[in-house]
Amino acid sequence: MRAEVVVIGSGISGLTVAALLAKRNRQVVVLERNQKPGGALRHFVRRGIPFDIGFHYSGCLGSGKILRVLWEYLGIWIHLRVHPFPSEGNDCLTLRHSGKSVRAFFSYERLEDELQQAFPNEAEGVVTYLKTLRDICDSIPFYNLDLPLTPFLRGLFPPAGIGLAPFLTSLTKDPDLQAVLVSPAFLYGVSPRQASLAVHAMVAHAFISGAYAIDGGGQAIVDAFLSIFRKAGVEVLTGQEVESIIVTDGKVAGVKTSEMEISCSQAIYTGHPADLLDLVPEGTFRQAHCSRLQDLENTTSMFVVFGAVDNPASLRDLTWVNHYAIPSGLDILDVNLICPEESALLMTAPGRRYSDPALSNASRGIILMRPASWDEVAPFSIGAGGTRPASYKKWKSQSADKLLDQAKKLWGYSRIEPLAIGSPLTFRDKLGVPGGAVYGVRHCLNQYNPGAKTRLPGLWLSGQGTLMTGIVGASLSGLVTAGEIEGLEPLWDEVRQCR
Amino acid sequence: MISDEQVHQRVAQIMAEEFELEPESLQPDATLYEDLGLDSLDAVDMVVALEKAFGMKMTDEEAVRAVRTLGDLFDLVCRLKNQQVAKE
Ligand SMILES: Cc1cc2nc3c(=O)[nH]c(=O)nc-3n(C[C@H](O)[C@H](O)[C@H](O)COP(=O)(O)OP(=O)(O)OC[C@H]3O[C@@H](n4cnc5c(N)ncnc54)[C@H](O)[C@@H]3O)c2cc1C
Repeated sequence: MRAEVVVIGSGISGLTVAALLAKRNRQVVVLERNQKPGGALRHFVRRGIPFDIGFHYSGCLGSGKILRVLWEYLGIWIHLRVHPFPSEGNDCLTLRHSGKSVRAFFSYERLEDELQQAFPNEAEGVVTYLKTLRDICDSIPFYNLDLPLTPFLRGLFPPAGIGLAPFLTSLTKDPDLQAVLVSPAFLYGVSPRQASLAVHAMVAHAFISGAYAIDGGGQAIVDAFLSIFRKAGVEVLTGQEVESIIVTDGKVAGVKTSEMEISCSQAIYTGHPADLLDLVPEGTFRQAHCSRLQDLENTTSMFVVFGAVDNPASLRDLTWVNHYAIPSGLDILDVNLICPEESALLMTAPGRRYSDPALSNASRGIILMRPASWDEVAPFSIGAGGTRPASYKKWKSQSADKLLDQAKKLWGYSRIEPLAIGSPLTFRDKLGVPGGAVYGVRHCLNQYNPGAKTRLPGLWLSGQGTLMTGIVGASLSGLVTAGEIEGLEPLWDEVRQCR
Repeated sequence: MISDEQVHQRVAQIMAEEFELEPESLQPDATLYEDLGLDSLDAVDMVVALEKAFGMKMTDEEAVRAVRTLGDLFDLVCRLKNQQVAKE
């Protein structure tokens, strides 16, 4: 088989880069190791209830905002029903120690009002925090579409700059306010003590500027891509794990799976960057580069219960409110606080956000998450891929019970039946990330994430490990990789015309 | 505390091992980009390798961009190393 470009991985980054290159008339094939395309965006169904894995809500989908602009450019947008959280929607943050609740609204004005009321002595810190987020994002092309892309991407040192923790502690000594302001860290998986203010700003700003739900969740996004692929002639081959990248005369000549060989001049790898080293011939990269990829540190893992209630009406309050419980101070992702009585926790019911009331009102699915560490499952990890020891099952169900118990104590949800459980082991095996890191490689202080270009001509990187994590970050990584291949500014200009 | 001379040796050793360079080519007046054949992709790998080896941060982008020769690199690493010692 032959193709111009092979994209390795069908997560949102792979789908995006494939769609962009196909639009430039490149002949593209996408290879996916799993039986179904979509990576972390796939859903699964238990007892007729669809559950999202890696998509609960997103920012950047308002008019003129980058993800919407990109999806309009690609013709994805018209396939989707995207709707904003209503103005009352919020992330309701319950502080574990004081029991205080603060509603993090998805609007700068409303959030500022709420924070001023909840922390009347901290007005200045609140204003400075919010202004800083806006100022930072105003200098980033993905949030200020008037800016060119190249200067932003060519900065040698994205990890330089200010740490989130020193910034916040300089603004406020109130541990409750600190906890509220660091809470978006849950959405990119980096402990606030290692987080960079710039990365935090990118994620927080996206949500404060407006949160969005999509009918059908992440799966609807995947399906939208597949439908444009049918017209554009992009093939997606599943059950195809790329085992090696063929190099001839010092450049990419093809890729090999256990079943087939595809010759191509360009290959784009979207998996975990450290795993790339197993795919290329020895000596492709210098030792310094291999060590750098191998040593990349990853985001936190999570323990997730996908459950259901008998009476869907009991979930009404959860429709536009995500409930978080958070420890005070900067410990939101502290792996020493993984016992559910103390750790951060998220309860959400994305299935209730369909625009069709018949569907949303009937939705019984509920998702509970807490940060988890690999150490919790390490004892069960022997025989990866094979059968797990019986003790694992027991640990899972006990851990799930503890989480459910917390949901009951914190929010009064007493009758949730667990239908599926995701542990760091599950995420490692299903998403192919070391340690079950839910957001892949960390974007944080003092870590240099790889860019799209590699030393091997014809080989490119994309995905959440490169530019940024989350649906927005991974999509934009696809845009950047396509731009590096086709010319960054011309592609950026074309995309921006869809504003 | 390690001397500047030891820092030079260690930097040269790292460059030789991590970038597969001939030890003889690693003279202070050798330019990183022309003589040693490194490019902008290697620059970050180099920074990461040196940070790890010396347990310090090279976050001053201007200073790293100003490095032209191996001698400049020796000087920069020594300077950072001494600053770090001064802080401790
Ligand atoms: C539990 C959870 C909740 C989340 N919630 C949100 C949220 O609410 N909002 C948000 O914005 N983001 C969320 N995220 C993050 C978001 O889902 C991810 O950042 C994003 O989907 C990553 O996309 P990607 O394309 O980079 O990687 P992936 O989706 O992981 O795709 C990579 C694909 O490459 C395939 N692959 C890898 N190696 C090979 C190979 N050798 N051969 C063939 N195929 C290969 C993998 O099988 C995989 O399908 C969440 C993530 C998780 C896990």
